[in-house]
Amino acid sequence: MKEDVPEKCISCGITLTGVGGVRFPCPSCGTIIARCNKCKKQSNAYTCKACGFAGP
Amino acid sequence: MIEVKRLEEDEVMQVEGEYETLMPIDEYLAAGVHIGTQQKTNDMMPYIYRVRTDGLYVLDVQSTDKRIRLAAKFLAKYEPSRILVVSARQYGQRPATMFAKAIGAKALVGRFIPNTLTNPAFRGFTEPDALIATDPSGDAQAVNESVDAGVPVLALCDTNNMTSNVDLVIPTNNKGRKALTLIYWLLARQVLRERGEESRFKYTISDFEMEF
Repeated sequence: MKEDVPEKCISCGITLTGVGGVRFPCPSCGTIIARCNKCKKQSNAYTCKACGFAGP
Repeated sequence: MIEVKRLEEDEVMQVEGEYETLMPIDEYLAAGVHIGTQQKTNDMMPYIYRVRTDGLYVLDVQSTDKRIRLAAKFLAKYEPSRILVVSARQYGQRPATMFAKAIGAKALVGRFIPNTLTNPAFRGFTEPDALIATDPSGDAQAVNESVDAGVPVLALCDTNNMTSNVDLVIPTNNKGRKALTLIYWLLARQVLRERGEESRFKYTISDFEMEF
C-alpha cells in the first residue's frame, strides 16, 4: 500500500506532515501526486513522474 | 482609390495543424474566452499568447481547451457528489449551479460562509474531495479552507490571478458572462463524456447563461 500513496512532495521532496499537504490523481494518467503546503502556496511547478504532465 | 483591408491580427489565434478543439475556435473567440486583463502575473505567463496594442493580455485558447479536457478527466475520477463548485462572482453563479446539476456535484454560490470546510460543528459543514473555484481571488476563503482540509483545488484563472494553493489551472477569462457560461458548459459535457454518460447531457449553452 505504501507504494500507492506517496509520502513526499513531488516538487521539493519533503515528507508530508501535518495539515496543508494534498494528494490527488494526476489529471493525465491518474498516478497519485503529493504536494506540500509550501509548494502549493508558492505555486511551485510539478511534473508527474509517470506521464510528464506539468502543473499547476 | 483602392481600400486595403487589414486583417485584425489581435483576434486571430494560431492553431496548430492537427489539434482538434472541443468547440470551434470561433466559438471560443466569440465568447471572449481568450480575453485577459491589462495585468499579468508570472504564474499565468505560460498561458499568455500575446499582448494586444491596447495592453490587454490574450490567453492561448488551445491551452484552455487542453486544460478543460484534463480537468474533466481529473473530475471524472471523483464521486460526483463529493465535488464542490464555488462562485462568489455573480456571472459565475448560474453556470456553476448548472454545472453542478449536470454532473451531480454540489454548488455553493454567493458568499462562502467561513468554516464550511473546516468546522464539523457548523450546520453547513461539508467534506468535498475536490473543489472548483471560479476565481481564486474572489473565492479565496474557499481555497484557503480547502488547503486546511487537504482538498485539491481546480480554478479558472485569468491573466491577473496568482495560482497560490491551486493544483490545476484552467486559463480562461473568468470575468465575462459568456466566457464563464461556455467554460462551465464545456467542462460539464466533457466530464460526462469521460464517464461515458454523454447521452445524459441535454443542456444547451443558453441554459448555463446567467440572466439579467
